[in-house]
Amino acid sequence: MKRLIFVVLTLLLVLSALAVAEAGYRDLFRKQFIDEPWAGAPIVKEGVCIECHTSKLMKPDYLKIPQEWKMSIHYKNNVSCHDCHGGNPNDSAVSCGTPHSGFIGTPKYDEVPQLCGKCHIGILKNYLKSGHGKALKAKRRGPNCVTCHGSHSIQKANIDIINSVRCTQCHSYNRARIMKQALFLTEKRMSDLDKKITALKAQGVITNKIDKLLFRTQAEFRTIFHTVDVSLVKKRTGEFSKKLDVISNDLDKVSSQLSFRKNFSAFLFMLFLAMAIVVVIIIHKGSD
Amino acid sequence: MFSKNGMLTKIYTWVEERTGLSEILRSQLVDFTVPKDSGYSNTLGFVLFTAFFIQLITGVFLLTYYIPHPDYAFKSVQFIMNQANFGWLFRFVHVVGSNLLVATLFIHILVVFYRGTYKKPRELNWLTGGLLFFIILLFCVTGYLLPWNQLSYWSTTILTSIPTVIPFVGGKVTEFIRGGEYVTGITLNRFFAFHVAFLPLFLITVVIIHIFVVWRTGLYSISEGTQDPAQEGAHLFKRPVYPDGYPFYPSLFMKAVFMILLYIAVVFFTITFFQTLFLPEYANIKADPFSTPYLIRPPWYFLAPYTLLRLIPNKFIGISIQVVIIVLFLLWPFFDINKEKNIWKRPFLLVLFSTTLIVWFLLTMLGRF
Repeated sequence: MKRLIFVVLTLLLVLSALAVAEAGYRDLFRKQFIDEPWAGAPIVKEGVCIECHTSKLMKPDYLKIPQEWKMSIHYKNNVSCHDCHGGNPNDSAVSCGTPHSGFIGTPKYDEVPQLCGKCHIGILKNYLKSGHGKALKAKRRGPNCVTCHGSHSIQKANIDIINSVRCTQCHSYNRARIMKQALFLTEKRMSDLDKKITALKAQGVITNKIDKLLFRTQAEFRTIFHTVDVSLVKKRTGEFSKKLDVISNDLDKVSSQLSFRKNFSAFLFMLFLAMAIVVVIIIHKGSD
Repeated sequence: MFSKNGMLTKIYTWVEERTGLSEILRSQLVDFTVPKDSGYSNTLGFVLFTAFFIQLITGVFLLTYYIPHPDYAFKSVQFIMNQANFGWLFRFVHVVGSNLLVATLFIHILVVFYRGTYKKPRELNWLTGGLLFFIILLFCVTGYLLPWNQLSYWSTTILTSIPTVIPFVGGKVTEFIRGGEYVTGITLNRFFAFHVAFLPLFLITVVIIHIFVVWRTGLYSISEGTQDPAQEGAHLFKRPVYPDGYPFYPSLFMKAVFMILLYIAVVFFTITFFQTLFLPEYANIKADPFSTPYLIRPPWYFLAPYTLLRLIPNKFIGISIQVVIIVLFLLWPFFDINKEKNIWKRPFLLVLFSTTLIVWFLLTMLGRF
């Protein structure tokens, strides 16, 4: 009996010591690691904007904004509400309520280009020089960024943004068609290269370098487009064609590496299959 | 070199004098007789042993570049796949190998069950084998998270959330497995330590016991039927000697070699023609705790239990059924005490066996959608 009590007491002592040690260790560990962003613990990224814009207090028209944003290219590239609208995403009191915090709610029609141009600097510059930009400046009418690209559900741009429905809202489609034709081949090449890169990414190939190069080329080309100057686009198409040749060559190199992998593993498959067949022949000869 | 006074002969003699290796090999390979009817299906254990060895070797190579940190895990795996010399080959063999290993393990279990070779005196063979099966599954679970991609992150989130259905302690169990409320870097470190240190040690220990008991009981002959003549009335089991059988070497040994080569060929066949079978698009996107992929599900070998859990509205009953199945599976030799080994002479067992297989298959198929 004494021995049993001794064993139970010892066990209790050891367990309590372990519990105390573990509790202390856990707190320390949590502070140093779990609460750190590297541990991957979900941290508030969207901030208070989403909280209000999904609450019952919000006007019905504004409720759909978070959902639209989540479907946009901006969301995919981690561009959040405050990146465009300013303010403090962690504190609604110094965000929506006070203009001096830099918060811009819905910008005025002619202020939209400046809002987008905070990031799309080159495009803003060319847009302001273009007929579109001049019209906006002079008459406060003319198309702004949102006219073609939308506001919160902005998608990756493609050539089909230029279409008869959109352009004929202000002028005839003729000039737009000429511009679309001038852009067509280069845009199609860029789109094909983009598809190739996406396919390679899906196979686990690191495409960062090529991806960035294509992104830069695409951005530069589209910056020129925003001048709405067909002759300038035609003049510089050759230059972009050369840049796309470089990207295309890089992709060919990657593709040939993938072919090598396939051929090499096919060779190993054949090798082991052949060895297996030889062993079967030996087994059958032995049993004869 | 091999002449009487050649260097290799000298080395061989030196080793032989000290170890008596040739005698051990002769007694264990040539004198170890196997039944006349033992065929290719008897070699699956050897295939599994080799498959595990391949996983071990490729795993060690992957370890040289892999970094178990949420910021670098995905990047390091991408480095292995794209920049390290033949890193892609090691990763592919490791990934495809793990799936084929599980598939071979399934087949091995089915063969053993079908033949009734879990019966006395082979209960321990079954028990240690069943244990190995679960250790391998644990290997898969822990290894799945390591690349820190969308597929691995969300599959692990699903799998580790299963214990939450247990009343009172479920949440704590999940928290304990994850090392916190969510799957985080702590989970990654935890799974990494299990995958590369704890589980291999555990597995090797059980493999040694499994091999020992298999060696001790010898291979099963279909002709044994309900009785094992060598064991009648004996208190201590004796490995049966099959007078009309074959020596293990070269008869079964060569068959094992064939099956191993075939297994490796299937690995390379899959790598060549089905590269994305086990590494779909989501496996090439870095884990993002804020973005849940549209369709995410556990790996194929967990689909049946996962679907079963989804189909049963009461999750606690669902998990309880699975625990009962696991216990039944592990302790099956102690429940099935009928001496008849031929499943065709036991209609109830045959129906149970085939129904389980069909249900498993259907649940797996259902889980794909």
